[in-house]
Amino acid sequence: MNKLKLNYTSLSFLPILVCIPLGYQLINNIHFGGFRLFQEFLISAFNPKIDNEIIITVIKRLNETILIGFFSWLVSIIFGAIFGIISSNIFYKIFNIPNFFYSIIRFFLTIIRSIHEVVWGIILMQIYGINFSIGIIAICIPYIAVNSKVFAEQLETIDYKSFESINQINAPKFSSLLSLIWHPIINTFQNFGLYRLECSIRSTVILGLFGIGGIGTSIFLSFQTLSFRELWTYLWSLAILIIFSGLILKKIKFNTTNKILSIFFIAVFFITILFSFSYFLYFIFNNNSENFNSVSSLFKSSSDLGLFDFLKLILETIILSLLSTGIAISLPPLVIGIFNNNSSKIFIKIFAFLLRLIPTPVILLTLLTFNNPSLSLAALSLGLHNAGITSKLLFTNLDSQDKRNYIAMKSLGISKKTSWLLGLFSQQAKSYLAYCAYRSDIIIRETAIVGIIGSIGLGWQLQESLSSFAWQEVTIVLIAYSSIAIVGELINGKIKNSLT
Amino acid sequence: MNNTVLELENISYKYKNDLILNKINLKINAGEKIALLGKSGSGKTTLISVLNGTIKPTQGEVKLFNESFEELDRKQKSKITTIWQDLRLIEDLSAEQNVNCGLLAENNFYFAFKNLLNISSFKKAHKYMKLCRLHNSIYDKKIRKLSGGQKQRVAIARSLIQESNILLADEPFNNLDPKLIKTIKNLLLENVDVNKTKKSPKTALVALHRLDLLNDFDKVIGIRDGKIFFNIKRDNLKKIHLEKIY
Ligand SMILES: Nc1ncnc2c1ncn2[C@@H]1O[C@H](COP(=O)(O)OP(=O)(O)OP(=O)(O)O)[C@@H](O)[C@H]1O
Ligand SMILES: [Mg+2]
Repeated sequence: MNKLKLNYTSLSFLPILVCIPLGYQLINNIHFGGFRLFQEFLISAFNPKIDNEIIITVIKRLNETILIGFFSWLVSIIFGAIFGIISSNIFYKIFNIPNFFYSIIRFFLTIIRSIHEVVWGIILMQIYGINFSIGIIAICIPYIAVNSKVFAEQLETIDYKSFESINQINAPKFSSLLSLIWHPIINTFQNFGLYRLECSIRSTVILGLFGIGGIGTSIFLSFQTLSFRELWTYLWSLAILIIFSGLILKKIKFNTTNKILSIFFIAVFFITILFSFSYFLYFIFNNNSENFNSVSSLFKSSSDLGLFDFLKLILETIILSLLSTGIAISLPPLVIGIFNNNSSKIFIKIFAFLLRLIPTPVILLTLLTFNNPSLSLAALSLGLHNAGITSKLLFTNLDSQDKRNYIAMKSLGISKKTSWLLGLFSQQAKSYLAYCAYRSDIIIRETAIVGIIGSIGLGWQLQESLSSFAWQEVTIVLIAYSSIAIVGELINGKIKNSLT
Repeated sequence: MNNTVLELENISYKYKNDLILNKINLKINAGEKIALLGKSGSGKTTLISVLNGTIKPTQGEVKLFNESFEELDRKQKSKITTIWQDLRLIEDLSAEQNVNCGLLAENNFYFAFKNLLNISSFKKAHKYMKLCRLHNSIYDKKIRKLSGGQKQRVAIARSLIQESNILLADEPFNNLDPKLIKTIKNLLLENVDVNKTKKSPKTALVALHRLDLLNDFDKVIGIRDGKIFFNIKRDNLKKIHLEKIY
């Protein structure tokens, strides 16, 4: 056999090696106590509870989820666009603002984005108590920063020369800005913004697991009481919501030549801005921050978090990210490649859909029925959930790809698996890896969720520190999280650049 | 009648270590139609960018109406209209929206807004597009979907709609067929009266490669390696001049 060559294809499979340490730890931790529970969990999927009472609950909970999801989406997309504009090159060129401010605002947004919405959520809950609007605020904070990055990236593609030509005739600055950014903004909204609604519904569900409300809270409660049939009613209704919202959004096409529609959107835009501002002020002044009396408490509270423990937690978080990323990258091409026939494909697609549907913490709790809590188990849950997402992308790209090479190779008598690998996947590998690099940014942030639930790494420490109101520790943990995420983003940026 | 409109005094422009414009002195008088000749890479585009204020020269002074460019406010500099060699249109906007961009300077923000939402009146834009032989069917087509010659004429219409008296045009006849070239040349040099009113005649400096188009110009400037080699009346142009610059 040839020596293993490092190319994009082999790089897509190599990370599966994380399964060796992972599998070792998992096998050592196996227990059979909860096997019956697990079985029940699986069977209930086909037998969800359906009666009047639960349907009323589902509708009520879904309404809450839609409300939080929709408003956090709307606010975060609009403010994301605004922050995207003021953190884009073109803005600074048009208004002649020193680049210094550009760096500051970008840095600020990077920090905000590095902390997961669940972390924002539990911190805000600790300060303000459980409150409906906290869900919206917690999602909006990192989402605005994430969206602004995407908008800013699109605005960077504007040709500076077309600005020069408008500038030379002395057009007013705001007119030039608007004319130049109009289409990039609308396109980004169409291609990226609509898809964000689904993300914000998922985030609402996850925040719900931590008690904010909506269907997530019901999912969590039913899991806690081991009412698996109810659990699946909630999960399936969530699936229907996600599928339907996806279908509706696909139908939306922006026709900027339709005057009434345009005016409607502009009205929504300004009303949202006004409403968010006034609501935000109302929220700040009408909610007593029960547990966070002053900034000085940051310095008063002592910390008994030793340096060594702290470094260990950071290391755990990093390993957790690496292991999960390995699974998310390599599992989809491996499984799709090995089970390369039409009936398996349907099965894999359904399985991937379930992995996307079931929130990571629930995956983790399910796995806990037959495995003791460990870092590997947390990594496996996070990795599986994300593999569900990466495999969707891989399927979409493979399905739309030109199959001539693959067919030609098969007709030459090359085995089906090899033809798939060399004729189909190898052409996707590069773009797939680029997407995975982007995905791993998200995985790093999501380590917080499994950390909190599975008592691993910084997430666990955050929970501990919060419940004992050790704000100084909370700050340290947040800084650590942020640093890991920022370093990760830098590395992934480099990888992405070398891949495109 | 020798009132100078634009003047370059000892202009040099350095990019990294290359001297792209080398000690250029030039006077452009009101109403003059000047052809700018020079082989590819000789500095024509750079000269035009200095003249309209987009590029700041490393050395020397640019004067508009005898006032130094530094002291002029942007509003006065904007009296110059430019047709760029690379057109510099906004690719995602439609043809008529791009032509309207020429009007951004004399209108407020609300106009820019109406233009993007397609609720402004495009009458003026349509008039100039018709003059450039652009037909109804392409008015609302995006720039990226137009042919080379159509794009060229959209850029020309965007410049004409400014109704400015000083025109700088960088190879405006690119991509145009012979009949269109004639029409456009007459428009640019104001051999047709667009507004049916008598105004002061237009001052124009046009960079071009086609020697057969020189007959409507008063003067010819030859540039080579960033230096002006000759600046003469068109009637005095001899073969020997051209041999020097090409
Ligand atoms: N943005 C730039 N950066 C660096 N050098 C440039 C730049 N633009 C032009 N140059 C250089 O300046 C010189 C003059 O270029 P310019 O574009 O003015 O030539 P030109 O006469 O307009 O040529 P053409 O007829 O091909 O349009 C060339 O040597 C070119 O390489
Ligand atoms: Mg040129």
